[in-house]
Amino acid sequence: MNNNTLIKVMVPAIGLSVALVVAVVGYFVLQSWWSSPPAVLGFGDGPTQPIAFPHTTHVTDAGIDCQFCHRKVTTDEAATIPAVAQCLFCHDFGKIDGTKSTSDTAAAELAKLFDDSGEPQPVNWIRVHRVPDHVQFVHAPHIQNGVSCTTCHGDVASMQVVEQVRNLKMRDCVDCHRDNNAPTDCATCHY
Amino acid sequence: MATQTKPQSATDRSTAFKWSMVIDLDRCTGCEACVVACQSENNVPINEESAFIEGRAFEWIRLERYWEGEWPDIKARFIPVLCQHCENAPCEPVCPVYATYHNNEGLNVQVYNRCVGTRYCGANCPYHARQFNFWEPVWPEDLRHQLNPDVTVRTRGVMEKCSMCIQRIRRATRSKTPSDIPDGAFNPACVQACPTSAMTFGNLNNPESKVSKLQNDERRYHMFEHLGTAPTTLYLKQVDTHGA
Ligand code: HEC
Ligand code: HEC
Ligand code: HEC
Ligand code: HEC
Ligand code: HEC
Repeated sequence: MNNNTLIKVMVPAIGLSVALVVAVVGYFVLQSWWSSPPAVLGFGDGPTQPIAFPHTTHVTDAGIDCQFCHRKVTTDEAATIPAVAQCLFCHDFGKIDGTKSTSDTAAAELAKLFDDSGEPQPVNWIRVHRVPDHVQFVHAPHIQNGVSCTTCHGDVASMQVVEQVRNLKMRDCVDCHRDNNAPTDCATCHY
Repeated sequence: MATQTKPQSATDRSTAFKWSMVIDLDRCTGCEACVVACQSENNVPINEESAFIEGRAFEWIRLERYWEGEWPDIKARFIPVLCQHCENAPCEPVCPVYATYHNNEGLNVQVYNRCVGTRYCGANCPYHARQFNFWEPVWPEDLRHQLNPDVTVRTRGVMEKCSMCIQRIRRATRSKTPSDIPDGAFNPACVQACPTSAMTFGNLNNPESKVSKLQNDERRYHMFEHLGTAPTTLYLKQVDTHGA
């Protein structure tokens, strides 16, 4: 191979690979900007929580209602995450201790509810869904108007780890509001 | 729980409310309770003396003081000045990005996240009701926890002003039919704090509300009426003849 053919091959090859890298990165950035990051390489996954709390076990197997734990969801802005005290209704010593669970890590996970001296300690759950600070989201009117949890959060009842399935960006909110004759005034969500 | 009626649709709402305020200056003592209440309700940054000297103090509602008569026969007079929520607002058409507009409830709304900080609106407001965040607002550590979670904390580069406590309006009207909201059921922070009840807040589209009835008071006037801004905020004041 002389220099000329090398250049003839290399230049388009380098050009193509640069274009490819730009296209892939560009796709990621634009997709994440307008919607949510593409669900590959673990990008769409929910965060690892301090305690592996499975919604499946509690909702599907134990049959607990969403509102038993997310108490404020029908009346307030935030759905709220239950305090440890509420886990202890069922998981205090001598009650449900994870022994009936099929997973061998269950007891170890439950032990994390208590510190070394056996006192219950608050859990620092990691937020999964979060709208920016300049958006005022309220759960109550949605639930009262029959929008179900699954519409926005997906099938949480069968999730081992909660992850965000709907992008819940402004267009997503406003499109549904338009379809349902809900308010679309900017000051509904921004103030 | 009472039977749940389906909330009004967006279109029904457009004619249901027109929020307004009436301020009776004959009752105002200039105590500034409204200023403090507003500041804590709306996450308004804290002013230092230098801010007043530079003319950059943040006050969504401020107290203007003037003197009537000559010393020793002199009287202090006060006017609380806030966004007048003008129907013909000079601030609105000058915004290049529609960050400020009139909504269908009679409010002049500022969308902070839409604002790009041109400050045209502030320059065009004859009431000096708008304040601009030249710097990122800071609160002392021990005051951070009193920030109101219902109100966005504004960042640097954003214009802000009185919102008529829209967070309270939203909370009180959400999922309710207009007829279920009695007159005076809720108030903005300034009105609630006023010890002499100089301020009245309500729905002008309800002919039975206090604000509607006060519209015909013989002491009424609009601030800078000659400018044609058509404010929704009304002032009441006995004409002060000297020595009266
Ligand atoms: C036994 C109590 C319990 C029940 C019942 C329960 N949850 Fe949860 N939920 C939690 C806890 C604890 C967390 C925080 C840990 C996590 O994110 O996995 C959580 C987190 C969530 C989140 C994510 C919150 C975030 O950070 O954005 C959603 C969404 C959610 N739950 C929806 C539901 C729905 C829908 C149901 C009913 C099908 C339900 N939950 C039933 C306890 C419960
Ligand atoms: C209404 C009762 C109830 C409440 C409240 C409750 N749980 Fe459970 N939990 C159960 C049941 C039932 C099981 C499954 C039976 C078992 O493993 O013994 C379980 C299992 C678990 C497991 C083991 C699951 C596995 O298979 O790995 C963990 C971890 C757990 N719960 C954490 C929590 C936390 C954290 C809270 C508080 C947010 C909570 N639970 C609240 C009833 C409850
Ligand atoms: C209209 C869409 C929508 C519906 C319906 C909805 N959510 Fe949410 N949810 C959200 C959004 C958006 C957030 C993020 C809120 C924020 O950042 O302030 C959220 C946050 C949460 C959180 C965590 C933060 C918090 O508010 O405490 C929980 C838990 C939750 N939702 C549970 C539920 C449950 C349970 C239901 C059904 C009863 C439900 N949601 C119905 C959109 C929805
Ligand atoms: C699946 C449909 C749907 C989605 C998605 C949705 N909404 Fe809604 N929203 C509704 C309905 C229906 C109502 C009730 C309207 C009414 O009161 O008539 C509502 C009401 C509201 C209200 C209360 C309005 C009032 O009366 O003051 C707010 C605030 C709100 N939504 C914010 C949001 C935000 C922010 C998002 C995106 C994160 C969102 N919504 C996504 C359907 C939806
Ligand atoms: C139904 C609720 C809703 C309504 C109505 C709404 N928005 Fe939004 N808006 C949102 C949500 C949610 C986001 C955050 C999206 C995200 O996650 O980045 C947002 C984000 C924005 C942003 C981007 C801010 C940034 O820093 O990226 C701007 C600008 C904006 N909205 C302006 C407006 C204007 C102007 C209107 C009125 C014409 C309006 N919005 C009406 C829900 C709403």
